[in-house]
Amino acid sequence: MSVTSAVPEHDELDALMLRIAQGDRAAFAELYRRTSPRLLGVCVRMLVDRREAEEVLQEAYVTVWQRGKTFDRSRAHAMAWLVALARNKAIDRLRQRRDSPGGHGHELESIADEEPTPATRAERGQEYRRLEGCLEALEPQQRRSIQEAFFTGVTYGVLAERAKVPLGTMKSWVRRGLLQLRTCLES
Amino acid sequence: MNTPLNDDENSLRYAEYVLGVLDAAERASVERELASSEEAQRAVAFWQQRLTPMTQMLPQITPSEEVWTGIRRALGWDTRSASPQATRFWSNARPWQWISLAASLVAIVFAVLLLRGPVRDSGHLLVSSIRQNGVTGWTATVDLDRKQVILVPAATTAIPNGRSTQLWLIPAGQSPISVGVFAAGTTTVLPLNATLLARVATTAILAVSVEPPGGSPTGQPTGPVIATGPISGAPAASGSG
Repeated sequence: MSVTSAVPEHDELDALMLRIAQGDRAAFAELYRRTSPRLLGVCVRMLVDRREAEEVLQEAYVTVWQRGKTFDRSRAHAMAWLVALARNKAIDRLRQRRDSPGGHGHELESIADEEPTPATRAERGQEYRRLEGCLEALEPQQRRSIQEAFFTGVTYGVLAERAKVPLGTMKSWVRRGLLQLRTCLES
Repeated sequence: MNTPLNDDENSLRYAEYVLGVLDAAERASVERELASSEEAQRAVAFWQQRLTPMTQMLPQITPSEEVWTGIRRALGWDTRSASPQATRFWSNARPWQWISLAASLVAIVFAVLLLRGPVRDSGHLLVSSIRQNGVTGWTATVDLDRKQVILVPAATTAIPNGRSTQLWLIPAGQSPISVGVFAAGTTTVLPLNATLLARVATTAILAVSVEPPGGSPTGQPTGPVIATGPISGAPAASGSG
């Protein structure tokens, strides 16, 4: 796998991460300024509660500073590393909550309405269009399940409850979707 | 990827891990693998990299200022002392400065509007932006005629539970004089006694410290000074010249 991208932002963020690894606080502040709105968007979508999302965001950036040296740009670019770190913390938080089936999903629409709009199509990069193309090639229920899973971070069990299908059906939708997605993304 | 993926079931676990559908025990098991297995690390990185663009479908949300304050505190970067790096950052952070400046202006206009009551319109006003690390925490408007100072919060400032914020006047070369204890998050009017009125000047500064409930027991600041601001003449506030 090669991490190729024609996105200048990736290079800039990668460069900031390398400075952070050397203890550069100004680089850290700049990284925070540039990436925190996107990460908070991710955390709020998963946790719904704004205050809890901000707690997770704070933990995530503290970890970014402490573990900056472990960032390996040959493996994933900085944004992927940051998103993974924040999502992992949010998922851990969700698992501690003892997910109640059917939990928070239905509240999402009302929140989304109040927030600014996501990046427009033109602002999104080549990587986005590639992923979007591969997702569109999936069966609708596979695509919906994978997106719902990524955005909400809930278990197979909760996904199945929400979609009102047996657990085995949900697992099969997601797994078949992932296999097809991988083939498409690798091609 | 060159690694032959002969075991789909197993390799899918990494995708499932990144997607977030595994329960706590299964997640922990993948994380143990990640500590030692190159292949697991590669597979997880692949999915992280490829799925990350999905976050662009979500709206971005700017965090409140407490998050950054909290990060600095958690890292042991004292928020009081503006380190060279922090100064450099703040001076680079143009959008934030503009937001801060705009907030200050709004606060000043608000304070001036409050002061312009039906009673009188030509008050002798002084103002101060009480700042921490380049961000205005409060705007103070000193009304010498009405013998009061109006404090308007310009940003949300996190104060430890059970602590009070106290405003101090520090005349040039002298010890701080307490102006009063105030609530950090709301507009507050504090009266100025004769001692304070005599010393309020554009050579003095205002400072905010964090104190035990009810204020400093000693008459001098005992807790950290979290924000300071020089006092200056007010912009022309009314048509009275």
